[in-house]
Amino acid sequence: MALLTLDSVNTYYGRSHILFDVSLAVEKGEVVALLGRNGAGKSTTFRSIIGLTPPMSGEVRFKGEKVNGLRAFRICRRGIGFVPEDRRCFPDLTVRENLEVAVRREKNTVDPWTVERVYALFPRLQEREKNLGSQLSGGEQQMLTIARTLMTNPEMLLLDEPSEGLAPLVVALLADMILQIRKEGVTVLLAEQNLNFCAKVSDRGYVIDKGSVKYEGTMKNLLADDEVKEKYLAV
Amino acid sequence: MGAPMGLLEIRGVVKSFGGLRALQDVTFSVGQGEIRAIIGPNGAGKSTLFNVMTGLFPPDSGEVVFGGERISGVPPHRIIRKGIGRSFQITNIFPRMTVFENVQVALFAHHRSSRDPLGMARRYPSVAAETLDVLRQVDLAEKHELSASILSHGDQKRLEIAISLASRPRLLMLDEPTAGMSRFESRETVELLRGISREQGLTLVFTEHDMDIVFGISEKIVVLQQGAVIADGTPAEIKANPQVRKAYLGEEIQA
Amino acid sequence: MAAFFDVSFLTVQVLSALRQAAFLFLISSGLTLVFGVLNILNFAHGSLYMLGAYFIYALTLHLTGPAGFVIALLAAPLGVALVAVVIEMGLLRRIYIQEEIYQLLLTYALVLIIHDMAKIVFGPEFKSIPKPRAIGGAVTIFGGTVPVYTLVVVVLAPLVALLLWYLLYRTRTGKIVRATSSDREMADALGINMSALFTLVFAFGAMLAGFGGALAGPARTVFPSVGTEVIIECFVVVVIGGLGNLWGALVGSLLIGTLETVGIIVFPEFEMSFIYLLMVVVLILRPWGLFGRPLKVKALAEKNLGMEAQEISPVHFSVRPLVRMIPLVLLLIVPLFAGRYYQYLLTQILIASLMAVAFNLLLGTTGLLSFGQAAFYGAGAYTVGLLATKTGIGSLSSLLLAPLVAMVVAGIIGFFCIRLSGVHFAMLTLAFGQLVFAIIYKWYNFTGGDNGIQGIPVRPLPGGIDIGSNLSMYYFALAAVAVAVEILRRIRSSPFGATLKAIRENNQRAEYLGVNVKLYQWTAFVIAGAFTGLAGGLYALMEKSISPDIILWTKSAEPVLMTIIGGIYSFAGPAVGAVVFIVLNSYLVAWTENWALVLGLILLAMVLMLPGGAVGFVNEKARGAFGKMGWVRRWAFSKSGAS
Repeated sequence: MALLTLDSVNTYYGRSHILFDVSLAVEKGEVVALLGRNGAGKSTTFRSIIGLTPPMSGEVRFKGEKVNGLRAFRICRRGIGFVPEDRRCFPDLTVRENLEVAVRREKNTVDPWTVERVYALFPRLQEREKNLGSQLSGGEQQMLTIARTLMTNPEMLLLDEPSEGLAPLVVALLADMILQIRKEGVTVLLAEQNLNFCAKVSDRGYVIDKGSVKYEGTMKNLLADDEVKEKYLAV
Repeated sequence: MGAPMGLLEIRGVVKSFGGLRALQDVTFSVGQGEIRAIIGPNGAGKSTLFNVMTGLFPPDSGEVVFGGERISGVPPHRIIRKGIGRSFQITNIFPRMTVFENVQVALFAHHRSSRDPLGMARRYPSVAAETLDVLRQVDLAEKHELSASILSHGDQKRLEIAISLASRPRLLMLDEPTAGMSRFESRETVELLRGISREQGLTLVFTEHDMDIVFGISEKIVVLQQGAVIADGTPAEIKANPQVRKAYLGEEIQA
Repeated sequence: MAAFFDVSFLTVQVLSALRQAAFLFLISSGLTLVFGVLNILNFAHGSLYMLGAYFIYALTLHLTGPAGFVIALLAAPLGVALVAVVIEMGLLRRIYIQEEIYQLLLTYALVLIIHDMAKIVFGPEFKSIPKPRAIGGAVTIFGGTVPVYTLVVVVLAPLVALLLWYLLYRTRTGKIVRATSSDREMADALGINMSALFTLVFAFGAMLAGFGGALAGPARTVFPSVGTEVIIECFVVVVIGGLGNLWGALVGSLLIGTLETVGIIVFPEFEMSFIYLLMVVVLILRPWGLFGRPLKVKALAEKNLGMEAQEISPVHFSVRPLVRMIPLVLLLIVPLFAGRYYQYLLTQILIASLMAVAFNLLLGTTGLLSFGQAAFYGAGAYTVGLLATKTGIGSLSSLLLAPLVAMVVAGIIGFFCIRLSGVHFAMLTLAFGQLVFAIIYKWYNFTGGDNGIQGIPVRPLPGGIDIGSNLSMYYFALAAVAVAVEILRRIRSSPFGATLKAIRENNQRAEYLGVNVKLYQWTAFVIAGAFTGLAGGLYALMEKSISPDIILWTKSAEPVLMTIIGGIYSFAGPAVGAVVFIVLNSYLVAWTENWALVLGLILLAMVLMLPGGAVGFVNEKARGAFGKMGWVRRWAFSKSGAS
């Protein structure tokens, strides 16, 4: 049974229909890419999963249980961590405080994430521990939001365009980190328009365009499929 | 003054937000009657460029020249009066007014009758006729009595275009005109824009993420990445440009 | 002046300033904390302070001695927190997604309700709370005599500030509170339960107010309207410091505390004006306060807390001219058969209607919530009062000058206010209003100060028409109000009015139509000010005496209440609201002492159940009913437009 499944999800912003029957599945331990151009519906898919923009119809199941209809904080507590695309670390809190806010005590997870463990993964954050969120560079903010979400001990991570606006060097670094996170046993669903970045970190991919899934397959097949690439991803 | 001047000239525009360089030395020119797309990955600076071009904030350096007149640093309401119309990425209409009133108020502003505090708005027959004309152009005349808030998303987007058209601009700037539209609606909108441009010699500058639309209607394309122009040319040239490919597909990431 | 540098004098004054600042900080820190997280400016925060004072009063009746006092001092705020939990879970929670104004009004309704509840339970008289003997005396410091209790306050408040700092910066919950006030949605997505946090923060803020009240009670006295007195001071503090910012509240409290103390010594005449003047100056230089930041526009997503907003549709059928004449005919005939009291009451209604309709040009049409209309009302009333008593000018001439003077005042105030928006705009208009009040209140030589102006002569109109009797004054007022309301109606349905509505709906888009938005807002502000001035002038002629009370902020609240009761999106709504308000006011006063309670409950019901106002509600129903009887609708209403 897949860890996360979306079954014919339809989502609206007010009156405008954004997602059309989106279905996808992510197995435990996978890194799956959700590819598409700006405005294709990637962020809305994520917001539908995490409950910030609940779907009007369809079903979101996590670990076999239906989660759509729950409030965002409840879905998060079930074990889905969401890293939004515009980074959004808390600007008035220090790096360490940003991490501490996300800690949840009631959970008896085996081997929970701690500030120290997160620092081991992102050494740069430790150096900037006492800086405010607003003082970080784009890449650091990206690391911080990922680290912060890890603190909630998610079984699954939704990463929305982590490579956006980052310099190539930082993007390469980020790819290593995602692989590292995967090694730690966290399943990742990744929204991206950067095909090569996805090729480095993910096994399978979905291509989404105009709010519906147009392609699904292994990254290898996707990379070889020039037609899909041209049509939905390239210029 | 050697080279012929375009209707709109962007010259060396730089804009930073708190240390972050959103636009670096952006230069290009848009000719009269041209349909021009501005594309680029998310965060490339398209919206910032739009905002600088329409006066929401001034550039740190460089200038924007429209019809031979420098417009950078001029507040939006004056820029609009010089003949530029703008639509927004997030639908930007007057939701709790009727469709008719949405366009009517734009025409009042255009004809400078907004200042009339005592005449009845209903007793402006010429404006009423013009309003319906504009609504007909975007195929909304039949819905003119409805409250704008209950229109479908596509209709709202078209209403916004109608509002922008009402001031008879020479240049219309559209920020993602088909965002959130169904395929069918997008196509209709594109046809509409192309028709208006052709009929009235209207210059169009737009951003868009739907590449079918970009390559379907634009005559020239400028590509931004990380706030800088990486390509400027005809659709064919852009398609063949390796740098553009790289920007979009993230190919050949080098450390 | 020499005395100023005397050490003993200085000591006493410094401690007195600190004590004042301490009380202010205790109350305003809670206010600003609640605003930071919940985004609600709580008018009832002062009432919670008042409850704290009453609770300690009630507790010390039974608990005596030092230990009893300490227990009471700690238990009172807890009691207030409990009340706050009920308020948050029972009422506030239902309107988080509504527009700002409804949130303000709900808390204002609570002010009225809590005020009268306190009056019913504890009585209207001043209560003093005994202090235990140990802290009841005075000590001498540097030759100055200082009450021990002042020292207690001056020591306790910084301790509370320290505790607050500790809680917010050193505990996890505190960090969550700070995180939430900068990004609610993100906190939600990190698994933080917003509903629970909101309740907690609201209760905690209330507890601070309650503690302030419990601590201030024994030093001051307590009476039911102490809440409304203190809340305005606190607004000034948090607005100066920056809404939602705790350091701002601290600095603001110190500034205001000092200014009030120095003001009393140096310029006792204008002590009150100082704090409003400071607020005006600060907001002009730093529109978001000393430590504040521009408020983020509420993102749509932020409203997504699992609730659906009630959509208020301002699209109405407009009534045919013929139908519109019916009320006018009634207004012409009815007074002939009414007694003198009712003629007077109707005149009051006319004047209130004009004030409300003029106000709604700002709120309903332009989307600006002004909380300082009393300044223009007062400007008009004092113009008539002063001209009539100091010159021999005719009543009509003085009445025509009233709107002109009000217009000038509105022009100046508007120039500064329209630079702000939302709550900040409301607060700045409030500050200017209070400033005008303070000036008139203290300027004895010119305005008569708190005595006001008595015996305003009403002189015959040109042509010898006497307007001295109640009936003739009624018809005079009717003529003036009818003309004014008709002008306002035309403004609303003119191209200018359409442009104002466009600004209300979407000021950014309006700017991109080529409209100079600020200029239009300013013009609307001036027009509304002028007509409010006319209403004030009529009031002076009707009452034949005026006092500074008509400029107090509670007067500014009246048109807001009337408009909300009647409905902000219809032209007639505010007038209907004025009728309801005045009638309630007159009858309830006769029928019960607790008219504020009834008014508060009505307001509460309006906000929770009929956010479109009475007229909006009737319209809604009428549309449904007339839909079934098409001929009635076709006869009575012309099809057309949105308001």
